[in-house]
Amino acid sequence: MTGPKEHKVKSLAELPQALEPARDLWPGIEAALKTQVPAAGTGLSPARVRLGQLRWFAAAAMVASVAVGVWIGRDLVPLSGPAPSVAQATAPRVTPAQGANAVDAAFVSDPRYARQRAELLQSLQTRLDAMPEPARAKVTASLATIETAKKDLESALGKDPSNALLQELLINTYQDEMRALTDVHEASDPGRGI
Amino acid sequence: MQAQSQENRIEWEGALVQRAVAGDTRAFERLYREHSGRVYGLCLRMTRDAQLAEDCTQDTFINAWKALKQFETRSSLSTWLHRIAVNVSLGKRRKATPVLEAQPEDEDGTLGGWTFETPVEVRELEGAIGDLPDGARDALVLHALYGYSHGEAAQMLGIAEGTCKAQLHRARKLLRERLNLEVN
Repeated sequence: MTGPKEHKVKSLAELPQALEPARDLWPGIEAALKTQVPAAGTGLSPARVRLGQLRWFAAAAMVASVAVGVWIGRDLVPLSGPAPSVAQATAPRVTPAQGANAVDAAFVSDPRYARQRAELLQSLQTRLDAMPEPARAKVTASLATIETAKKDLESALGKDPSNALLQELLINTYQDEMRALTDVHEASDPGRGI
Repeated sequence: MQAQSQENRIEWEGALVQRAVAGDTRAFERLYREHSGRVYGLCLRMTRDAQLAEDCTQDTFINAWKALKQFETRSSLSTWLHRIAVNVSLGKRRKATPVLEAQPEDEDGTLGGWTFETPVEVRELEGAIGDLPDGARDALVLHALYGYSHGEAAQMLGIAEGTCKAQLHRARKLLRERLNLEVN
Protein backbone atom coordinates (compact mmCIF):
# COMPACT_ATOMS: atom_id res chain seq x y z
CA MET A 1 0.00 0.00 0.00
CA THR A 2 1.13 3.54 -0.49
CA GLY A 3 0.49 6.55 1.70
CA PRO A 4 1.81 8.15 4.85
CA LYS A 5 2.81 5.28 7.13
CA GLU A 6 5.62 6.78 9.11
CA HIS A 7 3.38 8.36 11.74
CA LYS A 8 1.19 6.99 14.49
CA VAL A 9 -2.56 7.22 14.85
CA LYS A 10 -4.91 6.88 17.77
CA SER A 11 -7.97 5.95 15.76
CA LEU A 12 -8.86 3.96 12.69
CA ALA A 13 -10.64 7.03 11.39
CA GLU A 14 -7.25 8.76 11.16
CA LEU A 15 -6.07 6.36 8.47
CA PRO A 16 -6.16 7.94 5.01
CA GLN A 17 -9.22 6.91 3.03
CA ALA A 18 -7.60 7.76 -0.27
CA LEU A 19 -4.58 5.84 -1.50
CA GLU A 20 -2.85 6.40 -4.80
CA PRO A 21 -2.33 3.51 -7.21
CA ALA A 22 1.18 3.00 -8.54
CA ARG A 23 0.10 4.03 -12.04
CA ASP A 24 -2.48 6.26 -13.65
CA LEU A 25 -5.52 4.08 -14.29
CA TRP A 26 -7.40 6.60 -16.41
CA PRO A 27 -5.90 5.63 -19.82
CA GLY A 28 -7.19 2.07 -19.38
CA ILE A 29 -10.59 3.31 -18.29
CA GLU A 30 -10.79 5.78 -21.17
CA ALA A 31 -9.90 3.07 -23.67
CA ALA A 32 -12.67 0.87 -22.27
CA LEU A 33 -15.21 3.70 -22.37
CA LYS A 34 -14.59 4.20 -26.08
CA THR A 35 -15.79 0.67 -26.75
CA GLN A 36 -18.95 1.19 -24.70
CA VAL A 37 -22.27 2.45 -25.93
CA PRO A 38 -22.55 6.09 -24.78
CA ALA A 39 -24.08 6.33 -21.34
CA ALA A 40 -26.78 8.70 -22.54
CA GLY A 41 -30.11 7.26 -23.52
CA THR A 42 -32.46 10.15 -23.00
CA GLY A 43 -34.60 9.80 -26.12
CA LEU A 44 -34.25 13.54 -26.77
CA SER A 45 -33.34 15.00 -30.11
CA PRO A 46 -29.64 15.75 -30.62
CA ALA A 47 -30.34 19.49 -30.63
CA ARG A 48 -32.13 19.33 -27.27
CA VAL A 49 -29.45 17.14 -25.80
CA ARG A 50 -26.84 19.62 -27.03
CA LEU A 51 -28.73 22.58 -25.60
CA GLY A 52 -29.13 20.80 -22.28
CA GLN A 53 -25.42 20.07 -22.33
CA LEU A 54 -24.62 23.73 -22.97
CA ARG A 55 -26.87 24.77 -20.10
CA TRP A 56 -24.85 22.47 -17.89
CA PHE A 57 -21.62 23.95 -19.20
CA ALA A 58 -22.85 27.38 -18.24
CA ALA A 59 -24.05 26.12 -14.88
CA ALA A 60 -20.69 24.46 -14.31
CA ALA A 61 -18.98 27.75 -15.12
CA MET A 62 -21.22 29.53 -12.63
CA VAL A 63 -20.49 26.94 -9.94
CA ALA A 64 -16.79 27.14 -10.75
CA SER A 65 -16.91 30.91 -10.41
CA VAL A 66 -18.69 30.71 -7.07
CA ALA A 67 -16.30 28.01 -5.96
CA VAL A 68 -13.31 30.25 -6.67
CA GLY A 69 -14.84 32.86 -4.40
CA VAL A 70 -15.63 30.30 -1.73
CA TRP A 71 -12.16 28.75 -1.78
CA ILE A 72 -10.47 32.11 -1.74
CA GLY A 73 -12.78 33.40 0.96
CA ARG A 74 -12.21 30.33 3.08
CA ASP A 75 -8.53 29.72 2.51
CA LEU A 76 -6.94 33.01 1.69
CA VAL A 77 -8.95 36.01 2.87
CA PRO A 78 -10.20 35.31 6.37
CA LEU A 79 -11.29 38.85 7.14
CA SER A 80 -12.48 40.28 3.87
CA GLY A 81 -15.47 42.55 3.94
CA PRO A 82 -17.60 43.51 0.98
CA ALA A 83 -15.24 45.12 -1.48
CA PRO A 84 -16.00 46.87 -4.73
CA SER A 85 -15.94 44.21 -7.42
CA VAL A 86 -14.09 44.81 -10.66
CA ALA A 87 -16.41 42.26 -12.23
CA GLN A 88 -19.50 44.18 -11.21
CA ALA A 89 -17.97 47.41 -12.39
CA THR A 90 -16.89 46.27 -15.81
CA ALA A 91 -18.79 43.13 -16.80
CA PRO A 92 -21.51 44.21 -19.18
CA ARG A 93 -25.15 43.61 -18.42
CA VAL A 94 -26.87 42.62 -21.59
CA THR A 95 -30.15 40.83 -22.07
CA PRO A 96 -31.06 38.61 -24.98
CA ALA A 97 -33.63 41.15 -26.03
CA GLN A 98 -30.83 43.40 -27.21
CA GLY A 99 -30.56 41.37 -30.35
CA ALA A 100 -28.36 38.98 -32.23
CA ASN A 101 -25.29 41.21 -32.07
CA ALA A 102 -25.47 41.63 -28.33
CA VAL A 103 -22.47 39.45 -27.72
CA ASP A 104 -20.26 41.40 -30.13
CA ALA A 105 -21.51 44.68 -28.80
CA ALA A 106 -20.98 43.67 -25.22
CA PHE A 107 -17.67 41.92 -25.28
CA VAL A 108 -15.70 42.57 -28.41
CA SER A 109 -16.17 46.31 -28.68
CA ASP A 110 -16.33 47.28 -25.01
CA PRO A 111 -12.80 48.62 -24.52
CA ARG A 112 -13.13 48.91 -20.75
CA TYR A 113 -14.09 45.26 -20.40
CA ALA A 114 -11.42 44.10 -22.81
CA ARG A 115 -8.74 46.17 -21.07
CA GLN A 116 -9.73 44.99 -17.61
CA ARG A 117 -9.79 41.36 -18.67
CA ALA A 118 -6.42 41.62 -20.39
CA GLU A 119 -4.89 43.13 -17.24
CA LEU A 120 -6.35 40.43 -15.02
CA LEU A 121 -5.15 37.67 -17.35
CA GLN A 122 -1.70 39.24 -17.52
CA SER A 123 -1.28 39.10 -13.76
CA LEU A 124 -3.11 35.77 -13.32
CA GLN A 125 -0.07 33.50 -13.32
CA THR A 126 1.74 35.65 -10.78
CA ARG A 127 -1.33 35.61 -8.54
CA LEU A 128 -1.71 31.86 -8.88
CA ASP A 129 1.97 31.31 -8.06
CA ALA A 130 1.44 33.19 -4.81
CA MET A 131 -1.36 30.85 -3.71
CA PRO A 132 -0.97 27.68 -1.62
CA GLU A 133 -0.90 24.57 -3.81
CA PRO A 134 -4.39 23.20 -2.95
CA ALA A 135 -6.07 26.55 -3.58
CA ARG A 136 -4.11 27.07 -6.79
CA ALA A 137 -5.15 23.64 -8.11
CA LYS A 138 -8.80 24.28 -7.36
CA VAL A 139 -8.79 27.76 -8.85
CA THR A 140 -6.96 26.55 -11.96
CA ALA A 141 -9.48 23.73 -12.42
CA SER A 142 -12.38 26.17 -12.03
CA LEU A 143 -10.93 28.60 -14.55
CA ALA A 144 -10.41 25.71 -16.98
CA THR A 145 -14.08 24.76 -16.59
CA ILE A 146 -15.15 28.31 -17.32
CA GLU A 147 -12.88 28.39 -20.38
CA THR A 148 -14.39 25.15 -21.65
CA ALA A 149 -17.90 26.50 -21.16
CA LYS A 150 -16.99 29.68 -23.06
CA LYS A 151 -15.50 27.81 -25.99
CA ASP A 152 -18.47 25.48 -26.28
CA LEU A 153 -20.98 28.28 -26.08
CA GLU A 154 -19.05 30.38 -28.61
CA SER A 155 -18.88 27.41 -30.93
CA ALA A 156 -22.63 26.80 -30.58
CA LEU A 157 -23.33 30.48 -31.17
CA GLY A 158 -21.20 30.36 -34.30
CA LYS A 159 -23.68 27.86 -35.70
CA ASP A 160 -26.77 29.59 -34.35
CA PRO A 161 -25.85 33.27 -33.87
CA SER A 162 -29.36 34.51 -33.20
CA ASN A 163 -30.11 32.05 -30.40
CA ALA A 164 -31.04 34.31 -27.48
CA LEU A 165 -30.62 31.61 -24.86
CA LEU A 166 -27.09 30.82 -25.99
CA GLN A 167 -26.28 34.54 -25.95
CA GLU A 168 -27.50 34.82 -22.40
CA LEU A 169 -25.57 31.76 -21.28
CA LEU A 170 -22.40 33.10 -22.91
CA ILE A 171 -22.81 36.52 -21.31
CA ASN A 172 -23.32 34.88 -17.93
CA THR A 173 -20.22 32.79 -18.48
CA TYR A 174 -18.16 35.88 -19.36
CA GLN A 175 -19.38 37.48 -16.17
CA ASP A 176 -18.50 34.34 -14.22
CA GLU A 177 -15.02 34.44 -15.68
CA MET A 178 -14.56 38.08 -14.78
CA ARG A 179 -15.84 37.40 -11.26
CA ALA A 180 -13.40 34.51 -10.79
CA LEU A 181 -10.47 36.51 -12.18
CA THR A 182 -11.38 39.39 -9.90
CA ASP A 183 -11.55 37.10 -6.89
CA VAL A 184 -8.08 35.77 -7.67
CA HIS A 185 -6.77 39.29 -8.21
CA GLU A 186 -8.25 40.66 -5.00
CA ALA A 187 -7.27 37.64 -2.90
CA SER A 188 -3.59 38.16 -3.67
CA ASP A 189 -3.75 41.94 -3.25
CA PRO A 190 -1.17 42.89 -0.60
CA GLY A 191 -3.79 44.65 1.46
CA ARG A 192 -6.27 41.80 1.54
CA GLY A 193 -4.78 38.48 2.43
CA ILE A 194 -2.00 36.22 1.27
CA MET B 1 -19.46 27.94 4.80
CA GLN B 2 -19.04 24.16 5.16
CA ALA B 3 -22.64 23.51 4.14
CA GLN B 4 -22.38 25.94 1.24
CA SER B 5 -19.17 24.32 0.12
CA GLN B 6 -20.82 20.91 0.26
CA GLU B 7 -23.78 22.23 -1.70
CA ASN B 8 -21.46 23.70 -4.33
CA ARG B 9 -19.65 20.40 -4.54
CA ILE B 10 -22.86 18.46 -5.10
CA GLU B 11 -23.95 20.93 -7.78
CA TRP B 12 -20.53 20.79 -9.35
CA GLU B 13 -20.52 17.03 -9.40
CA GLY B 14 -24.08 17.01 -10.68
CA ALA B 15 -23.03 19.19 -13.59
CA LEU B 16 -20.12 16.88 -14.36
CA VAL B 17 -22.37 13.83 -14.15
CA GLN B 18 -24.83 15.39 -16.58
CA ARG B 19 -22.03 16.12 -19.00
CA ALA B 20 -20.71 12.58 -18.63
CA VAL B 21 -24.19 11.14 -19.19
CA ALA B 22 -24.25 13.13 -22.44
CA GLY B 23 -21.06 11.32 -23.45
CA ASP B 24 -18.39 13.77 -22.29
CA THR B 25 -15.43 11.64 -21.20
CA ARG B 26 -13.48 14.72 -20.05
CA ALA B 27 -16.16 15.40 -17.47
CA PHE B 28 -16.03 11.77 -16.41
CA GLU B 29 -12.25 12.00 -16.11
CA ARG B 30 -12.71 14.92 -13.68
CA LEU B 31 -14.97 12.71 -11.58
CA TYR B 32 -12.41 9.93 -11.76
CA ARG B 33 -9.62 12.25 -10.60
CA GLU B 34 -11.78 13.42 -7.73
CA HIS B 35 -12.80 9.99 -6.47
CA SER B 36 -10.19 7.49 -7.64
CA GLY B 37 -8.04 7.73 -4.51
CA ARG B 38 -10.81 6.77 -2.13
CA VAL B 39 -12.12 4.09 -4.48
CA TYR B 40 -8.66 2.59 -4.88
CA GLY B 41 -8.08 2.78 -1.12
CA LEU B 42 -11.29 0.87 -0.52
CA CYS B 43 -10.51 -1.74 -3.20
CA LEU B 44 -6.96 -2.21 -1.93
CA ARG B 45 -8.11 -2.75 1.62
CA MET B 46 -10.76 -5.21 0.50
CA THR B 47 -8.58 -7.21 -1.87
CA ARG B 48 -5.14 -6.83 -0.20
CA ASP B 49 -3.63 -7.01 -3.66
CA ALA B 50 -2.41 -3.90 -5.47
CA GLN B 51 -2.87 -5.35 -8.96
CA LEU B 52 -6.35 -6.64 -8.15
CA ALA B 53 -7.24 -3.31 -6.55
CA GLU B 54 -6.19 -1.49 -9.71
CA ASP B 55 -8.40 -3.80 -11.78
CA CYS B 56 -11.27 -3.26 -9.35
CA THR B 57 -10.83 0.51 -9.52
CA GLN B 58 -10.88 0.47 -13.31
CA ASP B 59 -13.93 -1.80 -13.37
CA THR B 60 -15.66 0.42 -10.82
CA PHE B 61 -15.37 3.47 -13.04
CA ILE B 62 -16.23 1.56 -16.21
CA ASN B 63 -19.36 0.16 -14.52
CA ALA B 64 -20.17 3.61 -13.19
CA TRP B 65 -19.94 5.06 -16.70
CA LYS B 66 -22.37 2.44 -18.00
CA ALA B 67 -24.84 3.05 -15.17
CA LEU B 68 -24.36 6.79 -14.80
CA LYS B 69 -27.80 7.75 -16.07
CA GLN B 70 -29.28 5.87 -13.12
CA PHE B 71 -27.40 7.99 -10.63
CA GLU B 72 -29.45 10.58 -8.75
CA THR B 73 -27.41 13.77 -8.83
CA ARG B 74 -28.69 14.95 -5.45
CA SER B 75 -27.30 11.92 -3.66
CA SER B 76 -23.67 11.22 -2.85
CA LEU B 77 -21.59 10.18 -5.83
CA SER B 78 -18.92 8.98 -3.45
CA THR B 79 -21.28 6.53 -1.74
CA TRP B 80 -22.62 5.36 -5.09
CA LEU B 81 -19.10 4.68 -6.37
CA HIS B 82 -18.19 2.89 -3.16
CA ARG B 83 -21.19 0.58 -3.55
CA ILE B 84 -19.98 -0.32 -7.03
CA ALA B 85 -16.41 -0.74 -5.77
CA VAL B 86 -17.54 -3.09 -3.00
CA ASN B 87 -19.53 -5.19 -5.48
CA VAL B 88 -16.64 -5.36 -7.90
CA SER B 89 -14.14 -6.21 -5.16
CA LEU B 90 -16.36 -8.90 -3.66
CA GLY B 91 -16.95 -10.37 -7.12
CA LYS B 92 -13.27 -10.54 -7.98
CA ARG B 93 -12.38 -11.89 -4.59
CA ARG B 94 -15.05 -14.60 -4.70
CA LYS B 95 -13.46 -15.90 -7.88
CA ALA B 96 -10.26 -16.47 -5.93
CA THR B 97 -11.42 -17.65 -2.51
CA PRO B 98 -14.80 -18.49 -1.01
CA VAL B 99 -15.88 -16.20 1.82
CA LEU B 100 -17.21 -17.79 4.98
CA GLU B 101 -19.85 -15.61 6.53
CA ALA B 102 -19.70 -15.23 10.30
CA GLN B 103 -22.80 -16.02 12.28
CA PRO B 104 -24.34 -13.20 14.29
CA GLU B 105 -23.12 -13.10 17.87
CA ASP B 106 -24.24 -11.19 20.88
CA GLU B 107 -23.23 -7.68 20.03
CA ASP B 108 -24.57 -4.41 21.31
CA GLY B 109 -23.35 -2.50 18.29
CA THR B 110 -21.59 0.10 20.40
CA LEU B 111 -18.20 -0.22 18.87
CA GLY B 112 -17.38 3.37 19.55
CA GLY B 113 -14.86 5.34 17.53
CA TRP B 114 -12.27 2.58 17.18
CA THR B 115 -9.71 4.50 19.14
CA PHE B 116 -6.58 3.12 20.79
CA GLU B 117 -5.22 3.80 24.23
CA THR B 118 -1.73 4.00 22.75
CA PRO B 119 -0.96 5.43 19.28
CA VAL B 120 -0.21 2.79 16.66
CA GLU B 121 2.11 2.95 13.68
CA VAL B 122 0.09 3.34 10.49
CA ARG B 123 2.09 0.62 8.77
CA GLU B 124 1.50 -1.78 11.66
CA LEU B 125 -2.19 -0.95 11.74
CA GLU B 126 -2.63 -1.36 7.98
CA GLY B 127 -0.82 -4.69 8.26
CA ALA B 128 -3.08 -5.87 11.07
CA ILE B 129 -6.17 -4.84 9.11
CA GLY B 130 -4.84 -6.64 6.05
CA ASP B 131 -4.39 -9.82 8.09
CA LEU B 132 -8.00 -9.90 9.22
CA PRO B 133 -10.32 -12.49 7.66
CA ASP B 134 -12.18 -11.13 4.64
CA GLY B 135 -15.59 -10.70 6.23
CA ALA B 136 -14.27 -8.98 9.34
CA ARG B 137 -11.98 -6.76 7.31
CA ASP B 138 -14.76 -5.70 4.91
CA ALA B 139 -17.02 -4.65 7.76
CA LEU B 140 -14.20 -2.87 9.55
CA VAL B 141 -13.02 -0.96 6.49
CA LEU B 142 -16.50 0.24 5.53
CA HIS B 143 -17.61 1.09 9.06
CA ALA B 144 -14.51 2.27 10.88
CA LEU B 145 -12.44 3.72 8.04
CA TYR B 146 -15.04 5.00 5.59
CA GLY B 147 -17.66 5.91 8.16
CA TYR B 148 -20.64 3.96 6.89
CA SER B 149 -23.28 2.92 9.40
CA HIS B 150 -23.83 -0.73 10.27
CA GLY B 151 -26.89 -0.75 8.03
CA GLU B 152 -25.12 0.87 5.08
CA ALA B 153 -22.09 -1.40 5.39
CA ALA B 154 -24.33 -4.46 5.66
CA GLN B 155 -26.29 -3.41 2.59
CA MET B 156 -23.13 -2.83 0.58
CA LEU B 157 -21.77 -6.22 1.56
CA GLY B 158 -25.07 -8.02 1.03
CA ILE B 159 -25.22 -9.37 4.58
CA ALA B 160 -27.59 -8.92 7.51
CA GLU B 161 -26.94 -6.01 9.83
CA GLY B 162 -26.48 -8.40 12.75
CA THR B 163 -23.86 -10.27 10.79
CA CYS B 164 -22.08 -7.03 10.05
CA LYS B 165 -22.02 -6.18 13.75
CA ALA B 166 -20.70 -9.63 14.55
CA GLN B 167 -17.95 -9.20 11.98
CA LEU B 168 -17.02 -5.88 13.54
CA HIS B 169 -16.94 -7.49 16.95
CA ARG B 170 -14.67 -10.16 15.58
CA ALA B 171 -12.48 -7.60 13.83
CA ARG B 172 -12.04 -5.65 17.04
CA LYS B 173 -11.13 -8.77 18.97
CA LEU B 174 -8.58 -9.85 16.37
CA LEU B 175 -7.10 -6.36 16.05
CA ARG B 176 -6.74 -6.18 19.80
CA GLU B 177 -4.89 -9.48 19.80
CA ARG B 178 -2.67 -8.66 16.85
CA LEU B 179 -1.76 -5.19 17.99
CA ASN B 180 -1.56 -6.33 21.58
CA LEU B 181 -3.49 -3.36 22.85
CA GLU B 182 -6.92 -2.17 23.82
CA VAL B 183 -9.34 -1.04 21.12
CA ASN B 184 -12.03 1.14 22.66
